Amino acid sequence: MLIILAVVALGFLFPLYAGPYPLHVMTTVLTYMALGLSWDMMLRTGQLSFGTAGFFGLGSYAALLTTLYLGLNPLASIFVGGVFAAIVAFALGYAILRLREIYFAITTLALAGVFTVVARNLHDFTGGPEGKILPSAIFNGDPTKVYWLTFSVALGSILVSELFQRTRIRFAITAIRNDEITAKSSGIDIFKYLLFVFVITSAIQGVVGGAYAQQYGFVSPESAFSTNFLLLPIAMCLAGGIYSTLGPVIGSVILGVLSEYLKLRFPYGHLIIYGVIIVAIVLFMPHGILGMLKKIAQKTRTEVGGNENEK
Amino acid sequence: MLGVKKFLAITLVLALVVLGVAAKVKPIKLGAVLPLGDITGRQAANAMKLAVKEINAAGGVLGRPLELIIVDDEMNPSKGAAAIDKLATIDKVDFFIGGMSSGVHLAQIPILKKYQKITVWIGAASHLCEKALAGADWYFHLHPWDYQQGAGYAIGWKQILEKYPQVKFDRVFLAYEEGAFGTASYKAYLAMLEQAKQGEGPYVGLVKEFKGESFKSAAFGGGDYRAVLRLAKEWNPDAFIWAGYDADALPMMAQAKEIGFAPPIFIGAPPGWPADFGKSPLSEGVVLYGMWAPSLNKVSPVAEHFYNAYVKEFGEEPATYFAPLGYTNVYFLVEGIKKAGTLEKEALIKALEQVEYESPLGETLKIAPSAVIKHQGFTTQKILQWQNGKQEVIWPFEVQTAEFIYPFPKWEGR
Amino acid sequence: MAETKTHGRHQFTLPLLAIVALILIFIFKPYAVIYGVQRGSLYALIAMPLALTLGIVGILNLAHGDFLTLGAYIAYWIFNSTGLDPLLSIFAVAPLLFVVGAGLYKITVSKVLRAPLLNQLLLTFGIAMILEEVINLIWTSRPRNVYVNYASASASIGGFRFGTYEFSYLLAAVGVLVLLRLFLKHTRLGKAAFAVGQNPKGAKIVGINVEMIYLLIFSISVGIVGIAAGLTLPRMSIFPLFGSPFTLKSFCLAAMAGLGNLTGILWSGLALGIGEALVQSIEGYSGWSDIVFFGVLIAVITIRSYRGSYV
Repeated sequence: MLIILAVVALGFLFPLYAGPYPLHVMTTVLTYMALGLSWDMMLRTGQLSFGTAGFFGLGSYAALLTTLYLGLNPLASIFVGGVFAAIVAFALGYAILRLREIYFAITTLALAGVFTVVARNLHDFTGGPEGKILPSAIFNGDPTKVYWLTFSVALGSILVSELFQRTRIRFAITAIRNDEITAKSSGIDIFKYLLFVFVITSAIQGVVGGAYAQQYGFVSPESAFSTNFLLLPIAMCLAGGIYSTLGPVIGSVILGVLSEYLKLRFPYGHLIIYGVIIVAIVLFMPHGILGMLKKIAQKTRTEVGGNENEK
Repeated sequence: MLGVKKFLAITLVLALVVLGVAAKVKPIKLGAVLPLGDITGRQAANAMKLAVKEINAAGGVLGRPLELIIVDDEMNPSKGAAAIDKLATIDKVDFFIGGMSSGVHLAQIPILKKYQKITVWIGAASHLCEKALAGADWYFHLHPWDYQQGAGYAIGWKQILEKYPQVKFDRVFLAYEEGAFGTASYKAYLAMLEQAKQGEGPYVGLVKEFKGESFKSAAFGGGDYRAVLRLAKEWNPDAFIWAGYDADALPMMAQAKEIGFAPPIFIGAPPGWPADFGKSPLSEGVVLYGMWAPSLNKVSPVAEHFYNAYVKEFGEEPATYFAPLGYTNVYFLVEGIKKAGTLEKEALIKALEQVEYESPLGETLKIAPSAVIKHQGFTTQKILQWQNGKQEVIWPFEVQTAEFIYPFPKWEGR
Repeated sequence: MAETKTHGRHQFTLPLLAIVALILIFIFKPYAVIYGVQRGSLYALIAMPLALTLGIVGILNLAHGDFLTLGAYIAYWIFNSTGLDPLLSIFAVAPLLFVVGAGLYKITVSKVLRAPLLNQLLLTFGIAMILEEVINLIWTSRPRNVYVNYASASASIGGFRFGTYEFSYLLAAVGVLVLLRLFLKHTRLGKAAFAVGQNPKGAKIVGINVEMIYLLIFSISVGIVGIAAGLTLPRMSIFPLFGSPFTLKSFCLAAMAGLGNLTGILWSGLALGIGEALVQSIEGYSGWSDIVFFGVLIAVITIRSYRGSYV
C-alpha cells in the first residue's frame, strides 16, 4: 500500500524534477495508459472492443467544438467530451451489445469508421478534413499543468479499474466472461452490466480524447480517430498483462518509453525492433510482463520455501 | 638561457592560442524534426546532412562547425511536439529547422512558442498553421502556403497563354483527394475564383468555369478514380487537374486511358511522383505542378551541383523537391548567420530578412510577408511537363528547359 | 465452421430483391455496377483467405493485408529483374508466399495457438509492423509501379466504354471460391480441415492431425493472397502500407458473410463494391462512400443478431 502511495506521489511530483521532454513523453504515456485501462475494463466482461479510437475522437471533437462555438471553459469541455461519448455509447449499446466476439469487435471498429467519415464530411461544422484549431491550447501549453491534467485522467481510470476489480462488480463481470449461460442462471442481468461497463469505458475514452484535443488545441479526422489510439493501447495491455489494472499501467509505461528510446537510438528501423519485441513478448511472455513477474515471484517463493524445508 | 626562455614563451603563447581556439570551437547546433519513415523526410534529412558536410568542409560558420541533430516525428503530432522539447532542452539546439506535415506542425507550434528560437520551417502548407503563428517574428516559413500555390499557377498560365496562343484555359476541372491536402487545394481554388468574379485576384480573366469533385486517394486505400474521371469527361474541360498523392499518379493515367479521357491539358499536382512514372508511356505530356525537377540541372549551376553531390553522397537520386528544399533550409540559415556576423536573435532576424539565396530549386529565395506572418520564403511553384520520361520545366520561362507539348497526346498506341 | 442457412420461402426473397435492385441500379448508373463488380470481387478475393484462416485456424490475422504488400513487392522485384509479366509471376509469387506463410506459422503462430485469441492478435500485429517496416527500409515509402499496356485496356459495348482488366479480379474470385469449395467438400484433406474448423477437439479425437491442418490452411491462405498480389500489381501503386486497408475490408466482409460462409463473402463483396461505386458516382457525395462499407456492415450484423445469431 505504501509503495503505491509512493509511486503516485512520485508520479505527481514528476514535473518538479523532470525536464519538458521527459514530461512530454510521460504525458503521452499517461494518455495511452488511460485508453488501455478503459479497453481492458471492457475486455474483462468478455467483450473485445475496437472502438477506442472512435470514442476518443468523439470526445476530442466534442471538447474542441464546444470551446470553439460556445466559449466553454476548456476543463469543462473535457468533461463534456466524456459525457458526449457516454451518450453515444449508451444509444449504440442497445443495438450492438447483443453481439459477441469478433462481431462486436468489427462493429465497434466500423462505428469508429463512421464517426471518421462524418467528421470529415461536415465541412462547416467540424472543419472537414482540415479540422479546427483553437486560438490557444489549454493552460497556454504549460507542460506541467498539461501533465497534471493527463495524470489526473489516468489516475481516475486506475481508480475506476480498481473499483471494478475490488467490488462485487468483479464477480458479475468475470462470471459473464467465463460462461454467460451460467451467469444468466445465477440471476445476473448480463445486458445491464455490459451496457454499464460500455458507457463508463466510452466516457473515459471521451475524456482522454477531450484532454488530448485541448492539449494541442486542434482536431482533425486523421489525428482524432487515428488507429494509433486503437492498436497501441491494446498492445500495451497485452504486453503488460490483461484482466488487471497493473498490467496496462506497466505495459503503457514500458512500451511507451521504449518506443521513444528506440526512435532516438535507431532513427531508421526502430519500428522493426519494436515489432520484434512485441513478437518476443507474445512468444515468451504469454501472460504479459505482469504474468512473467508473477511467475518469477512464485518461483523465488517456492525456492526460498524449499531452502527453508531443507534446513 | 635566452633560448630556453624564448622556447617557454612561445609554448605559453601557443598554449593560450590553442585554448582560445578550443574555447571558440563550440558548434552551432541545428535541431531538425522530419518524418524519417517517409521518403520526403528521409531525403530532406540526407540533403541537410550534405549541406552541413559541405559547410563544415569549407570552414564552418563564424569559425564554428555546424552540428545537425535530427529527430523523427513519425508523422505523429505528439511525437513531433515532444521532439521540439527534446531538441530544446536536452540537445540545447540554437535553431529549429525541418518539417513536413501540417497536422504535426499544429501540435508543435505551441511548443515552439515556448522557446521562441529562430525557426526556419520547410513544411506545413496549411493556412491553419499560419493562423496559429500570428505574431511569431522569430519564425521563417520557406514552403508556399496552400493559398499561395494556386495564385502562382495563374500567373504562369497567363504567360503560357500569351506565348502559346493556341492554348485554352477557360474550363478547368479539379479532382481533389478527400483529405486535408486535396480539400485545402479545392477550397483555395474556390476562394480565388470567387475573387475573380468580383474582378480581383490572379484568376481574373483566366478561368471562366470551374468544377471540382473529390476522390479517395490510393495512399489511404482508395485508388478508384473512374467516377471522377467520367464526370470530368462528360464536362469536357480545357484542363483537368488532379490533386492527390504520388500513389495516385499512374493509376490515374491508366484509368483515364481506360475510359478514353484525354483533355487538352492533363495536370497532376501531387507533392511527389512515383519512382517508375517516367518509364511508363502513359506519362508523356502530363503537366505537373512542382517546385523542382532534375532537368533544372540544365539551367541552374546550383541545382546541378546539388544533384550531383546528393547522388554521389547517398547513391540515390533525389525523388522529391523536399531534398533540395532541405539543402536550402540549411544554406539559407547559414547565409543569414554569415550576414549578421552573430547569433544574436534580433540582428539575425534582420539579416535573414535581407538574404537572397540562389537555391537549387531554380529560384532565388527572398523573404516577404504573407497573409499573417512576416517571414515567408517561396510563394510560387513551377509548371513542368513529363516529356520522354523526364520532368521538363515549362514555366517560369527563365528556367524553361523544353517547349510545351499541346494538346495532351492521344491514348491510342500507348 | 457454422453455416448460416435460410430456409423455405425466405431462401428466394433476398436474392430476388437483390437482382431487381441490381437491374434498377444498372439502368441509372451502369458504370457503378461495372466498377462495383470489379472492385468488389477484389475485396472478396482478398477476404476469402482471411475467412479461411479465421474459420478453421481461429486466428484474427492483422497482418493479412501486409502479405498482399509483400507479394506485390516480390512480383515487382521479379518484373524488374527478369521482365516477367506480373500475371505469370503469380506462379512464382503464390508458392513463395505459401512457403513464407508456412515458415512464419512454424516459427511464431503455432506457439500461440493454445494462448488466448488476443495473444494471436498481438502477434499478428507485431508481424504486420515488421513486414511494413522492413519493406519501407528496403524500398522506401516512394510508390512503385509496373507498366503493362493491357492493364488499361478497354472494351466498348454500345455507347459504353469500360475497362476490362479488372474483370480478372472477378474471374479469380470465382475461381478461388469454386476451388476452395471443391477442396473443403470433396477432398479428404479438405473435409478434415472443415471438421477441424467445426470442432477442433472432436477432430483430434477422430485422429485428424490438427497441427498439420492448421499449418496447411494458414499457408494456403497466404498463398491465395499471393495470387491477388500478382493481379493487382499492374493496376495499383505499391508502397509499404498499400495492403493494410485491405485487412480491415476483409474483416468486414468475413463478419458480414458470417463465419464459414465463403460464398457469402463473394456476394457481400460484390454488394459492397457496387454500393461504394454507387455513392462515388453521386456528384458531391463521393466523400461519403466509406459509410457504405461500414454502414451496411453494421446494419447486416445488427439485424442478424436480432434474428438470433451471435447472441
